[in-house]
Amino acid sequence: MKRRKIDIAALPAKAGAEIDDRLQVSSPLRRLFNKVFPDHWSFLLGEIALYSFVILLLTGTFLTLWFDPSMQEVTYDGTYTPLKGIEMSRAYESSLTLSFEVRGGLIMRQMHHWAALLFMAAIVAHMLRVFFTGAFRKPRELNWIIGVLLFWLGFVEGFAGYSLPDDALSGTGLRIAHAIMLSIPVVGTWVATSLFGGEFPGHEILGRLYIAHVLLVPAILLGLIAAHMGLLVKQKHTQWPGPGRTDHNVVGIRMFPGFAAKAGGFFMLVFGLVALLGGLFQINPVWLFGPYEAAVVSAASQPDWYVMFLDGSTRLMPPWEARFPLWPGHHYTLPPLFWPTVVLPGVLTMLPLFYPFIEARFTKDKRAHHLLQRPRDVPTRTALGAMAVSFYLVLLLSGANDVIAYKFHISLNAMTWAGRIGLLIVPPLAYWLTYRACLGLQQHDREVLAHGVETGIIKRLPDGRFVEVHQPLAVPDAHGHTELPYAGWVVPKKMNRLGALVPTVKGFFFPIEEPAKPAPQEERPVGAGTSREEITSSKK
Amino acid sequence: MSFDDSAGAAGPPREVRRGRLLAGPVRKSRLRRRVFAGLRLAAALAIVGGTYTAFAPGSQAQDTPKLSDAAQIGKRQYDQSCATCHGPNAQGVEGRGPSLIGVGSANVEFQVETGRMPAARPQQAQVERKQPMFTTAQAQQIGAYIQELGGGPQLPSGENLRAGGDVAEGGRLFRVNCASCHAFSANGGALSSGKFAPSLEPSTDRQIYAAMLSGPQNMPVFGDNQLTPQEKRDIIAYIQYQKHDKDPGGFGLARYGPVPEALVIFLVGMVSIMFVTIWIAGKS
Amino acid sequence: MSTDTDVDYDVKDPTLSRFDLVKEGARRDGVEIVHYAPRFPKPGTRAERRVERTIALLFGLTGLLGLAFVVAYIWWPWEYQHGTGLDKFYNPVLGLTLGGSLACLGAAIVVWAKKLLPEEVSIQDRHDAPDLDERALTGATIMNMVDETGIKRRPLLKGALLVGAAPLGLAAAAPLVGGLIKKPGNILFETAWKPANGNLIKVTREDGSEVRPEDVSVGGQATVFPGVPHGATNQHADSPVLLIHLRQKDADALRANLKNVAVNSEDGGAMWGNYVAYSKICTHAGCPASLYEQQTNRLLCPCHQSQFQITDNARPVFGPATRRLPMLPLTVENGVFVAKSDFRVPIGPGFWERP
Repeated sequence: MKRRKIDIAALPAKAGAEIDDRLQVSSPLRRLFNKVFPDHWSFLLGEIALYSFVILLLTGTFLTLWFDPSMQEVTYDGTYTPLKGIEMSRAYESSLTLSFEVRGGLIMRQMHHWAALLFMAAIVAHMLRVFFTGAFRKPRELNWIIGVLLFWLGFVEGFAGYSLPDDALSGTGLRIAHAIMLSIPVVGTWVATSLFGGEFPGHEILGRLYIAHVLLVPAILLGLIAAHMGLLVKQKHTQWPGPGRTDHNVVGIRMFPGFAAKAGGFFMLVFGLVALLGGLFQINPVWLFGPYEAAVVSAASQPDWYVMFLDGSTRLMPPWEARFPLWPGHHYTLPPLFWPTVVLPGVLTMLPLFYPFIEARFTKDKRAHHLLQRPRDVPTRTALGAMAVSFYLVLLLSGANDVIAYKFHISLNAMTWAGRIGLLIVPPLAYWLTYRACLGLQQHDREVLAHGVETGIIKRLPDGRFVEVHQPLAVPDAHGHTELPYAGWVVPKKMNRLGALVPTVKGFFFPIEEPAKPAPQEERPVGAGTSREEITSSKK
Repeated sequence: MSFDDSAGAAGPPREVRRGRLLAGPVRKSRLRRRVFAGLRLAAALAIVGGTYTAFAPGSQAQDTPKLSDAAQIGKRQYDQSCATCHGPNAQGVEGRGPSLIGVGSANVEFQVETGRMPAARPQQAQVERKQPMFTTAQAQQIGAYIQELGGGPQLPSGENLRAGGDVAEGGRLFRVNCASCHAFSANGGALSSGKFAPSLEPSTDRQIYAAMLSGPQNMPVFGDNQLTPQEKRDIIAYIQYQKHDKDPGGFGLARYGPVPEALVIFLVGMVSIMFVTIWIAGKS
Repeated sequence: MSTDTDVDYDVKDPTLSRFDLVKEGARRDGVEIVHYAPRFPKPGTRAERRVERTIALLFGLTGLLGLAFVVAYIWWPWEYQHGTGLDKFYNPVLGLTLGGSLACLGAAIVVWAKKLLPEEVSIQDRHDAPDLDERALTGATIMNMVDETGIKRRPLLKGALLVGAAPLGLAAAAPLVGGLIKKPGNILFETAWKPANGNLIKVTREDGSEVRPEDVSVGGQATVFPGVPHGATNQHADSPVLLIHLRQKDADALRANLKNVAVNSEDGGAMWGNYVAYSKICTHAGCPASLYEQQTNRLLCPCHQSQFQITDNARPVFGPATRRLPMLPLTVENGVFVAKSDFRVPIGPGFWERP
């Protein structure tokens, strides 16, 4: 037999050459490999959302193999005893089958649901990071807009998924959604009737929600996520200010291998977390809720957390109904439900969408920015953000106010009133507090830059006064001044940040390195004390 | 006619009501019902009148011998611990406690066995379950006394009132009748102005049965005409089944729906992932 | 930027090391590797071996837990049984093994990246200044495209294009809208309680059995449905009713209040004896308002906490609801409850056309 000569080691290079002959990918591929990413924990929040989305696609695909969105009435005859012989829809029955009769189906369902909650939580965390650091400024306004749309699409996608199993909570949620549609002036009844195919609940809605949930919305999400990432690659990541970092460069590590390895590892860690949550914490036990029946409701009927703030706004809304006697004998109604569930989400979409432009207009800032801002350095924006967050939190807590009332023995009516008043009082208060906190932090930064770090060493002067010795951050110039300009980045405020403490010895049971030697005596921060009197007094 | 019949608590058995769709039994039962209703009215009048004469001042001495042994022990307990608010002969004290004539032993047993009575602070929004002051036997004796005073709904005998209950049927009835206040998990829920439907976690079969029968505080009454004894057993069977069932998905988060799930995703999910991000991006 | 960025390497120069080539490639991509150092300058130290062992251990755990997952998936008892048998732990065991395996894999990769890959600081130029020459060239190309079509100087074609495209756009939207759209008609104004063929609709339980006055105890309530086929199913989601048997004094209070609401008092009043029936569908958002407090006579909706006063024609006394729960006019025929008529006002949440 003729032995063919194959040099295994040369194979990849040969294959690469063959591909490059045909596609000429060397240059773009290398540019991708060499792309520099800055390294900071807060830049990983968006990645959590991305990985959750991938997990959602994987587990969701598994679920579609068994789930049947039919509203046809069937009698349950599965293994779960407490529902045996109960009339239910095929959708609910198939959810039970997935949970009890498909091996491993329950963990898939639970992972899917936890991943959905994590997806939305990561989106919100990522949005807050982008907002508070000013990463949405020019040239990234478009990516911010895409991000806001992704949040609302995730919201719709999540609500559709929550509605699909046709358990009592799903049905109650859908009924409220129906009422929300009805509340829209002029066209409300037409919208509701058209989407539900007639009376509530009808036989159409689950099928329609299903196709929206597994095809329509995910496809748009996927497209927008691709655009989001494409813009990120094109515009390059923002970075924190720091040594050597300017508005015209990116300082970090190249994408391959370092960054990609970290990202890949992080994906696995997020996946692991979702699997742990899915295995250890029961979520959405549809078998306990029972099938949806129009006459059945449970105390503590809540939506998932990302919808809860709208439930809260609905609960807090005072009973204000507008009636329009347009012509004799014809009165029209604008129900109170319209404001917290249609107008409020509309405002909450539009305000963030246009925020980058509003801010640019107010600050008259038309330049492009690639360096991030510390929240303290932009007190107005930070305070506005805190106001929005506190507004949201009051609504979120009000969405759970019956559970809070029950668990903490508070009157339900008192909770509602606390929410109503809190919604008016807490956001301005948060604005004021945050604004003051930002100013205080700014001032402290400047003070440390001017006068140095407090050492905790108290010195008695010859005239009997006591002063605290400060370690200046810079070498004194010809005039003995040590003041440094603020660089927009963290100012060290503790001595061990300056390396005054001996580094810890590595190794748990025994040292694996030579213990580091203590810092030489002359580096100790004692000498610079005498000219410090004014500084200590200026502290007040 | 005995006391309990006349009080109107015991309805026709379930089969009779279920068979109403057929013409025959309907007529028969309706006739029977009317006769019964008439008898009940007469008996009730007789009891009220009788009770009145019996407890009219000065006649107590002649009345006491009519009580059974258990009721006599119960009366002693009653006089010690209950009479301050409900009056010496359970006729009630204006502004302190309602009359107990006609509430039946089911009510008494429920209130005393769950520790709600004697109430520590009757003025609060709702009297809550606490460590009972009396044993089950004593509660039954007081119940017997109140029963013999004025009649009212009574519990069937025995501790196990879930036997023969159909769990699935019970679940269906639970969701229609009970879940709205006690929540799908029977863990309870808030009502208006500080009132609440309590968790059924500590409730025994007899207590659940008694609560349905007597409608304590703000809970509606589910008389035997509305939920037959069999249906009550179904419901109890379902509640106890769920209590002793596992949470197949892992830690059940108190079976309280999306609120604890929201806590978990932030306190467990987001917090742990934040530590991971700090570790990944941190200096090595 | 360091000086060697100006040097143009001859890539084929055999004296160049591989890392020289890497740096040259990076330079051409606008990236400068300013700091590059191995984590462990001296290979094979104790510290390095320790890191390697850690990573190896993590990979080992990944495989072990992955295997455990497969074993548990196949052999752990998983079928549902009542009580707390071993099947209780099926899901947690799957989660622990799968999650543990994935987390170990992730940790191994991250430790590798953090502890073994060389320390690196690279600087990439953003090239974010717009190239105005390029912009001018592209702009001219685009404008030329417009000129080539000549649409500006051919108004007839401009008009014709509009005339042609607009209807086609409508045609694209028509099937979607046309297929979905459905006239509301009077479905929001009618329920299954509307008398059919002159027969009053019976009040029934979920199983279809009739309801008699004595079936609901004083201080009791029952969820009842119209006695029509599938009356208790979601086909008639607008029809569930809460039938309440009031205490004497509460019933008297309600009777006295009936006149406050015209529709509740007409035709001899909507109550029958001490019984009253309210639509269970909340007038706020449509949840079943069914948390009946029999002493305070309040009805609470668990979704948004609207509270209705039973003894005052279900007037909303707290929460976001603005309208009373509609009363179902009750009467008794042959000893069983029937509805005298449909609800006299539309049930459920408000809508634009609601009078």
